[in-house]
Amino acid sequence: MSDRGPTIARRIEPLLAGAGTRPGLAPEEVALPQSAYAVQGPWRVVVLNDPVNSMGYVVLVFRKVFGFAEPRARRHMLEVHEQGRSVVWSGLREQAELYAFALQQWHLTAILETDEAH
Amino acid sequence: MKRIEVKLSLPVVAPLLDLMKASSDVLEAQIAAPITLDDIDADFREEWRAELLAGQQEELHALMGLFNSDFFINGVVAFDEDNAEIIVRACSALRLRLRRHDLSVLEDEQLESGGVDLETLPAALQKPFMCYVFLGTIQELIIQHLDGAILRGPVGDAEPSEDYGADADDFDSEKD
Repeated sequence: MSDRGPTIARRIEPLLAGAGTRPGLAPEEVALPQSAYAVQGPWRVVVLNDPVNSMGYVVLVFRKVFGFAEPRARRHMLEVHEQGRSVVWSGLREQAELYAFALQQWHLTAILETDEAH
Repeated sequence: MKRIEVKLSLPVVAPLLDLMKASSDVLEAQIAAPITLDDIDADFREEWRAELLAGQQEELHALMGLFNSDFFINGVVAFDEDNAEIIVRACSALRLRLRRHDLSVLEDEQLESGGVDLETLPAALQKPFMCYVFLGTIQELIIQHLDGAILRGPVGDAEPSEDYGADADDFDSEKD
């Protein structure tokens, strides 16, 4: 049994509640404790291209999950579309997992990466 | 509360429902999108998959629930702030399933560009493709009219009452 709490979805709720209403404070820009980085290293949430989900849908998902303003959501969407992938968030592992889970709830192909993987 | 009522052509949409139901049944036990959990703790993966699957099941039940006995009487489906998000997601799941299972012979570029001519498709692909386009049309309608509700979440109640009469182009032959 995981020590991450009762359900993943329940843990995501506060994450999304803030995202949708505060687009000026996009989560990618939040400063993270250096000590935590030193221990865990930054984790990246990467969205991969798929031929099914429309551009409008992907923009909506990025706005919903991360609270991105539309231009920023569109920029990431185009990066996914044209380059096959976009790093949409980086930071502490546990929060990266929650974002990846939220994106997968929307049926996007989201993966996690660390520097160690490259 | 914003609400979209879409009047669909029963002769066009009803034949698609069997395939939608069959695909939905498969997705009772299978996550639609490819997922890689290699970087997730091993003891966490099962819980992760189970929650994704449970959410997907709920979405698909909501979508298929739109096509109830009332639908077969009046041909109308309704979307509002309460079901917009879940229906948009359900459409995505079904489209992923259709693409991977029923439309796998088509090139990605064909689907992304919309450059598929229904008339020239083999008969076996026509219904899946119609389903694929239909679900995409539903998504577009919802995103066009209810994106604010989705971004705000289902509990938002400050929106003034509005009522949109949206049409689903190819699937609507009964417009007033």
